[in-house]
Amino acid sequence: MRLVVVALFIVGLLATTNCSPAGADGNENRLTVFVASSLTDVIGDLATAWEAAGGSGLLEVVGGSNHLAAQLRDGAPADVFLTADAALFDVLGPDRIPVAVLGQFASNHLVAAVPIDDPAGIRGPADLRRTDTILVACVTGVPCGDATFQRYGDLPIDSYEPSVRAVVTRLALGEADLGIVYATDVAAEPRITAAWDEPPTCPCVTYAAAAMTDNGTKFLDFLETDQARDVLATHGFNREAAPSGSS
Amino acid sequence: MSRVPTRAPRPLLVVAVLGIAFLALPVVGLLQRAPWSSLDDLLGRRAVLDALRVSLTVSVIAAGIVVVLGTPLAWMLARVDIPLRRLVRALVILPMVLPPVVGGTALLFALGRRGLVGQWLDRWFDITLPFTMTGAVVAATFVALPFYVMTVEGALRTMGDDLEQMAGTLGAPPLTVLRRITLPRLLPAMGAGLALAWARALGEFGATITFAGNLPGRTRTLPLATFQALESDPEAALALSLVLLAVSLVVLLPTRDRWLPTR
Repeated sequence: MRLVVVALFIVGLLATTNCSPAGADGNENRLTVFVASSLTDVIGDLATAWEAAGGSGLLEVVGGSNHLAAQLRDGAPADVFLTADAALFDVLGPDRIPVAVLGQFASNHLVAAVPIDDPAGIRGPADLRRTDTILVACVTGVPCGDATFQRYGDLPIDSYEPSVRAVVTRLALGEADLGIVYATDVAAEPRITAAWDEPPTCPCVTYAAAAMTDNGTKFLDFLETDQARDVLATHGFNREAAPSGSS
Repeated sequence: MSRVPTRAPRPLLVVAVLGIAFLALPVVGLLQRAPWSSLDDLLGRRAVLDALRVSLTVSVIAAGIVVVLGTPLAWMLARVDIPLRRLVRALVILPMVLPPVVGGTALLFALGRRGLVGQWLDRWFDITLPFTMTGAVVAATFVALPFYVMTVEGALRTMGDDLEQMAGTLGAPPLTVLRRITLPRLLPAMGAGLALAWARALGEFGATITFAGNLPGRTRTLPLATFQALESDPEAALALSLVLLAVSLVVLLPTRDRWLPTR
């Protein structure tokens, strides 16, 4: 009896969570796109624009750039890899050499952000050094974490999150007082806001795309179209990085 | 006492060996890829030692809390006629079937700074659980407790309560019965449950990173360090996995002989 209850519960969970990803169109022609987590909000609109331009459906796999690169290295199937760090193309291994690469299709910069009600009363950059606040940032090794370290140096960080989306969630839920995220995250998430006003400052993160299969090259071409650029601009991505951009 | 050994049906043996191979193969894979030559260097790193210390501290404290909370709970489930017992038991087992990340999120909504109870902890007592080692202990306890309760409750049921009844009719007060009869007989099962719960706490990942975050020396446990190293430094990840494997075996091998029926 206990088993039955547990089994029913699991079936229930599966039923509520498992239906969404498979669209009505079936899987045959869909492109599998590995997407850096900081592109989470824009990829849906990019997919819509791509389909409007006659492309097949997209199957998006969102995750930290490094995590996705590790999956690719270990043989995960993908047609396209959109990353916040072009250097990751070099660690995919001899079996996974991209068919084509688009060096840079957008860029982004870091901002300090707070929950919308600013529980700790953050005023300016000096507050980054305060130890009585909860400060979260990306872990070093992932693009946003490396950029954070480059720009701010050692900070009294309370939690190194695996991806920038995790930092955004900490702030949006009010569990952290201050976090380092991308400008696009502040634009997209209504529950967080920039901690103070400042002009866009690099180091910037530049997004690169790799086609892992011949099919994927079409999506790279699409990223250079005006439609794709418009979508990216709408979400607050810059077109070009400043000269001092990240490696 | 000599017994005629049971003759196992051959097909059963074949399947059983397949089962062993399935479980052992990943371990063999880990061992053959392990960077034995640079192991010294990898394991001596500050980051590894920090993670080991956090892991041991968190899992041992969690195991202690599990025994204190879990023993009365298992006893109640087995012996007391409580209403909605089936529902209560399902609730107790829930963390076992729940994906740990979901468990961590649930903990955040309950005990986080803006959580149901957490906001009062924060406001009245200035206690914030997320991003602290205490938070990591809470996460580990949450996922490990059911393993202990299930084991001990099962043992209590198998044991029956004849002896306790008897002691009661002879005039022993309930606490004496518990201390002199129930607990001594329960000790092996408690040990087994403790070993399982501790192992689960040691391996805990999802609830920890979701609820307690990831800070070296405070909340970054071995599994978190392994996950992170996997992305940037696979060699270090392998070394960390070996540490986890070794620590688990060191505890499980002897306890298994002593506490779980092994014949």
